[in-house]
Amino acid sequence: MAMDLPPPAPPAPAAVAAALTETHVRVTSSFRGARIVLYGAVFDPAARPSDVVVIVRGPDQPVRVARKTPVAGVWINSRPVVFEGAPGFYMAASNRPLTDIARFATLRRLGAGVDHLAINAPAEQRVETRYGVRDMVVSRLGADYLDWRRAVVRLKSRAGLYAADERGVRFVDGGLFRAEIALPAGAPTGIYQARVILFQEGRPVADRVRTLTVEKAGVERGLYLMAHDRPWSYGLASVALALGAGWAASVAFRRS
Amino acid sequence: MDIYLPIAEVSVNAVLLVGLGAAVGFISGLFGIGGGFLMTPVLVFMGIPPAVAVASEANHVAASSMSSVISYGRRRAVDIRMGGVLAAGGALGSFVGVEVFRWLRLLGQADLVVAVSYFLFLGVIGALMLTESIAALLRRRRGEPPKRRGDRRPPWLYGLPLKMRFPRSRLYISVIPPIVLGLGVGVLSAIMGVGGGFILVPAMIYLLRMPAPVVVGTSLFQIIITTSLTSVLQAGRNQTVDIVLSTLLLAGGVLGAQFGAKISSRFRAEELRVLLGLIVFLVGLRMGFGLFVTPQEPFVLMSGAR
Repeated sequence: MAMDLPPPAPPAPAAVAAALTETHVRVTSSFRGARIVLYGAVFDPAARPSDVVVIVRGPDQPVRVARKTPVAGVWINSRPVVFEGAPGFYMAASNRPLTDIARFATLRRLGAGVDHLAINAPAEQRVETRYGVRDMVVSRLGADYLDWRRAVVRLKSRAGLYAADERGVRFVDGGLFRAEIALPAGAPTGIYQARVILFQEGRPVADRVRTLTVEKAGVERGLYLMAHDRPWSYGLASVALALGAGWAASVAFRRS
Repeated sequence: MDIYLPIAEVSVNAVLLVGLGAAVGFISGLFGIGGGFLMTPVLVFMGIPPAVAVASEANHVAASSMSSVISYGRRRAVDIRMGGVLAAGGALGSFVGVEVFRWLRLLGQADLVVAVSYFLFLGVIGALMLTESIAALLRRRRGEPPKRRGDRRPPWLYGLPLKMRFPRSRLYISVIPPIVLGLGVGVLSAIMGVGGGFILVPAMIYLLRMPAPVVVGTSLFQIIITTSLTSVLQAGRNQTVDIVLSTLLLAGGVLGAQFGAKISSRFRAEELRVLLGLIVFLVGLRMGFGLFVTPQEPFVLMSGAR
């Protein structure tokens, strides 16, 4: 991941190392979510005060959100709005509140924290000239735009897919730290990136990226692939199974 | 014991699902209905995406109908010709229904349409069943003779062209009403994940005036064909049939249905109908509840962002 790091302050550059206890999560029929521990260490000969932020991003998944609006006393879904660039899983953990670690602009640039996720609804936006200013991005959602964006984060958090823990990174001994990644059962499959960023004096000075693969395995994988690659054979097989089971039950009960 | 469903992508308790399948199967065996109208809402309340619940439930209904149709077949209580005509309409209906459902899903209105259909159909039919069966029960208590069914069939049934003979039902009527009826039920099976017995049975009795002994068997026969087709189409077009989910449900369901069918002879028909009417009515109200109550969370995430 490219990042324009400011030149590290002399005398000696600080560095960070990290590793995951598991790099492959297999989603099998007994999958109920997973807890993965990320541990690492800060190396700094000068022992300057350091902050660590861990950002875990799952594969991007466009999100469709609708708002319920009352129409003649009945609550009806509005036209859904599609948000692009939303990760399917997002977790930001740090050793103290993000706002204490770095400035708003830095966090925004790094996408650190759910408030700084680069998600938007491009279909609802257009570029136009307004108040004499060219290329202004105007949202058709109007002033409600923030409500929609907040709703995406809130709904995803409720499903355990977005999380922010400002005490999630714990220094255990000297420069050693650990953080926990809690994947819910509904976590999307794909490649996850865990990025560990070392901050000193409000600036990111070093980072480390670790990848994590979440994949369906075993019977689950076979069924999922068949349902999507050969949907018609899958459908016929499921109906054959259903009719066969129904017939078998009636025969079995007739005998008894 | 939790199990991860590969298509629904949620983790659910397998024992609970088998138990639910058995309970709904018991009710369906007791009343001679498919039970889809009960199972789909329960699955939705459990957090399974409505699109997956509806499609997998069609598969489950096919299984439970298969398990009970065989005993009706042995008693020669299935009008295969009538069932075939109904199923021809049903096949067309399920094609239309699956495409409509696909379109609604893309629009983000699938969940809403499921709720509205449940509220309207179950609310109205439940209320009708309840009033009719309570009236019958009261008449019997007072010792009055049961109200005679009018023998006059609606004249429009005979004015229509394309007449066909149905020897088992002792009918000579146009094929248009049964095809239209089958079509409607086929659409419902795709949108609500039900067999449609709760509409078919009364319609066959009061509209087509079929003799009572062949009604349930024939309706089951048509339901098997329609729901089998619906579930193949849902799998092919929407990829929403969860085979693990439907297998767990039918494991409990087929057993429960056989047990329910055995118990049903101990109850009176009117009492059973009051109970069934009440269940149908309450499920309809519960599904419609969310339509009228101000939601705590005005935003909803839509499934299938493709």
